[in-house]
Amino acid sequence: MTQLLTQFFIILAVAFVAGTVGSLLGLGGGIIVIPALTLFLHVDFRIAAGASIVSIIATSSGSAATYVKDRLSNIRVGMFLEILTSVGAVCGAFLAGLVTGSALYVVFALVLIYSLYPMGKKIALELGWRVHPFGERKGGDEGPDPLATKLGFSSSYYDPAVKREIAYDLHHVPAGAVIMYFAGLASGLLGIGSGVFKVVALDTAMGMPMKASTATSNFMIGVTAAASAGIYFLRGDIDPLIAAPVALGVLAGSFLGTRLLAKLAGVSIRIIFFVVLAIIAIQMILRGFGVSS
Amino acid sequence: MKNKGNPAPRPVGKEGNDAPDDPARTTELMVSFVLRSGVIISAAVIVIGLMLLVYHGMAGLTSGIATAFEFPHTFGAVFAGVAKLDPVSVISLGLLLMIITPVTRVAVSIVAFAMERDWRYVGITTLVLLVLLVSFALGKAGS
Repeated sequence: MTQLLTQFFIILAVAFVAGTVGSLLGLGGGIIVIPALTLFLHVDFRIAAGASIVSIIATSSGSAATYVKDRLSNIRVGMFLEILTSVGAVCGAFLAGLVTGSALYVVFALVLIYSLYPMGKKIALELGWRVHPFGERKGGDEGPDPLATKLGFSSSYYDPAVKREIAYDLHHVPAGAVIMYFAGLASGLLGIGSGVFKVVALDTAMGMPMKASTATSNFMIGVTAAASAGIYFLRGDIDPLIAAPVALGVLAGSFLGTRLLAKLAGVSIRIIFFVVLAIIAIQMILRGFGVSS
Repeated sequence: MKNKGNPAPRPVGKEGNDAPDDPARTTELMVSFVLRSGVIISAAVIVIGLMLLVYHGMAGLTSGIATAFEFPHTFGAVFAGVAKLDPVSVISLGLLLMIITPVTRVAVSIVAFAMERDWRYVGITTLVLLVLLVSFALGKAGS
């Protein structure tokens, strides 16, 4: 009885942190929930993955309710790219039985490591360090992608951190769309990385401002997760006594995370994301080589 | 709250006023409302389930959360359990409501884009909903 209560409150606390970090960075919080449940509470990996799906949906719905209202989430960009992520997720779920995970973890980890470089350069530029601009599109003269114009992707939001309206266009929509498909594939196949790849596609490939990228990723991850949540539920992988404190803790955390996002500077969010991206990449490589579960 | 004086991205009229009847704003407010309601309702049902669990003295759960135990994982079993006010089934119902919230959000977006007469996005959103429904159907077939 006391053990039950202790475990309940540990899960609640872990989920609160996951919800805060997840809503701030556009991730589902699986990176925190899965290791905490498997390593500290010795929960079966299957059940931990089920709890992670619930965590993703709770983070997404809890934070996007605010982000959509504040126009930080770009719902047109989100809806369009959800076609690719959800098709990717279905394909991934199909392939899951056919291909072994370990090599895939390494492949996806390498993609993340590759994206650390442009992201690091962006941070350096934002901090005013003298570096060579990344590629040509840092010149700023390039107009929006014609596809982006056609689909009405241009938007703006009010950023309380700098106290002004930030307007933006999107570039390289096809490249972003391809990454989104693979983001869906990764989540269907491995049950992870749904948010990181989305933020990389939006921010690094398509040039969306960081805050709008994490908010739009948050808006999208719920749908990608819902696509596989039904399967998890029917398989009996969503243990109600573990998923309940996860859901409640994450919702409370997302309440804090959405407020933090509004206050923090874009570059601060990018730096935190950069660090988490590196951690996730290392975690994936370790899992790929069978070092950790 | 702070964005109350937000200028609309496409200024309506001579000055970029807040334009409360801006159709794009209606979509955003509808989507936000669906997400917020879904979260509040599912959280409330989960909390009711937990309270029932405490009230019933958590019989049979003495060994701790991390131990595997039998719980309903088909829709029929959950609804049957809810009818009997079985705490674990009520919690599962709350979790199911949370899972369908993003799907509901997609369905409501179709209506919102139709109200905006943005037929391209009605098409895009319908496609997303279809893929989601296919994935649910596949999940059911596979398990």
